[in-house]
Amino acid sequence: MSVTGESLRRFLLRWSGVAVFLAAWEVAPRLDWIDPYFVPPFSTVLREAGVMFRDGTLGMHLVVSLWRAVAGLLTAILIGMPVGFLLGRRLVGVEQALRPILTVLSQVNPFSLLPVFLLFFGIGETAKVAVVSWVSLWPVMSFTITATRNVDPAQIRTALSMGISRLDLYCKVVLPAALPTIFTGMRVGAGLTFLILVAAEMLGSSAGLGYLVHNSAMNYLIPRIYAGATFIVVLGFLLNRLLLHVERRLSGVWEAGAFVTGPAGPAGAARLPGPAVSVAALGAVLIFIVFGGLEVSRINREAASYPSEALKHFGHIGQPVDR
Amino acid sequence: MNYPLLNKTAAVIVFLALWEILPRFGLVNPMFIPPLSAVLATGLHLVENGELVTHTLVSLERAFGGLLAAMVVGFPLGLVLGGGFPRLREAVGPLMELFAQANPLILAHIIIFFLGIGQSARIFIIAWLCLWPITFSVIDGIRSADPLLLKAAGSLGLGRVGLFTRVVLPSSAPTIFTGVRLAAGYAFIMLIASEMMGASSGLGWLVAQGQENYHVTRIFAGAAVITTLAVATDGLLRLVERRVVVWKVNTE
Repeated sequence: MSVTGESLRRFLLRWSGVAVFLAAWEVAPRLDWIDPYFVPPFSTVLREAGVMFRDGTLGMHLVVSLWRAVAGLLTAILIGMPVGFLLGRRLVGVEQALRPILTVLSQVNPFSLLPVFLLFFGIGETAKVAVVSWVSLWPVMSFTITATRNVDPAQIRTALSMGISRLDLYCKVVLPAALPTIFTGMRVGAGLTFLILVAAEMLGSSAGLGYLVHNSAMNYLIPRIYAGATFIVVLGFLLNRLLLHVERRLSGVWEAGAFVTGPAGPAGAARLPGPAVSVAALGAVLIFIVFGGLEVSRINREAASYPSEALKHFGHIGQPVDR
Repeated sequence: MNYPLLNKTAAVIVFLALWEILPRFGLVNPMFIPPLSAVLATGLHLVENGELVTHTLVSLERAFGGLLAAMVVGFPLGLVLGGGFPRLREAVGPLMELFAQANPLILAHIIIFFLGIGQSARIFIIAWLCLWPITFSVIDGIRSADPLLLKAAGSLGLGRVGLFTRVVLPSSAPTIFTGVRLAAGYAFIMLIASEMMGASSGLGWLVAQGQENYHVTRIFAGAAVITTLAVATDGLLRLVERRVVVWKVNTE
């Protein structure tokens, strides 16, 4: 059998479960095995998603949610990585003394902190970003501590004996060696972030994917709930796959037997990104933060000036209150 | 220094002292962060009138009910998919990965259509969330059993059942425990979110109620209890793990 035939068969097998599930979702409501009012058939949900995609609702909420997630994760990285570096390499004694308190803080429930963040930052974007970054801060920090501590001492001594400067030691030896593990921390943080963000948006917000689902439920737009939920699931899935891919690239280790990620591939060499790629990625993130932020604040202003977000998308365009 | 206990608790003591002193001297707005003693007084008050105990019990029932249900479903599911049926495992893998991404809160309203607004809907939410880390870790744990050990034990004449109970299960126990601890963490995080979203009892409700009525000390008292429960659960699971996985070399 040819290679492509084999991989096609694999592909079909891997996705057959999803296909069967979607078929059941389509057929069961149509044949009245489930009440189609509560569980609309998959095609209805898809059509609803298409409508939301065309009138821009989906895109708007997606931008808001993604911006919050990226801003939160970035804040966590900007705080967690330097602190992790310090605690991991320079202040080892301090880290040992702080460990119990760090353990307790990482277990503090982000939702019970939400009211406190609201008191400090008001009900704007900052409180949501603070919750998200609180959640992802701890994995980023603890993985950074572990990573910087486990750098091969032989490498460090070799570099030192060649008269490397402190700064170069960190940039050229410690950071590249620790980066794969740090990235694992970021991936764990990002996964948590997405979960928490959607929940936080359901609890109190005027835009975002979580709000979209919550608002649809409040208005009994049941196909819309499923469309929003499906979109969130697919987005989370893609995000997870992307980060896993980057992580594998960085570490060069194809973890054998990791069930979720499918069959293990051959071990490759670690490939650290070149400067061009790093700068491009960083630039893309910064551009998204700036322009996304402008977009988010515009959406928030609009949401505040219409009587109801739901009304706006059903043709009853409310009169804008004075801007 | 030769006082390991003091070393370990020093940071905690300093943290608690700062929590008391900073608001007292107005270095932090005591309206936003009340001093520790005020929080403790509120906590004591809530214990005395029985509120705290009631809500804690309700929350614990939901969290552990969900975790238990997830284990009851997840262990057999993981054993079946991890132990045999490679084609079935391949076929349902991506579907389970998608299900794991389906944050049950987004479907909370639908779940309520089917199960009502009672305890069972909330337990279902927690159970759904906990199911996937447990199932995945059981599958991974079983599949990563060292083939050398399996061959060695097999050549020493161990049967299939013996191989499974005496080699595969012990060697996968650490992975499984990691999954269960992850699931317990998720359970507490989502429990509080779901209780804040629309419940009439539970610790999350207590915090949400404190927020609505501007009882800041109540928020902190509730948050402190939730944190303590999460830390205690994790500690308990670690303890059980150490008891069960006696063969593992301690790497920490």
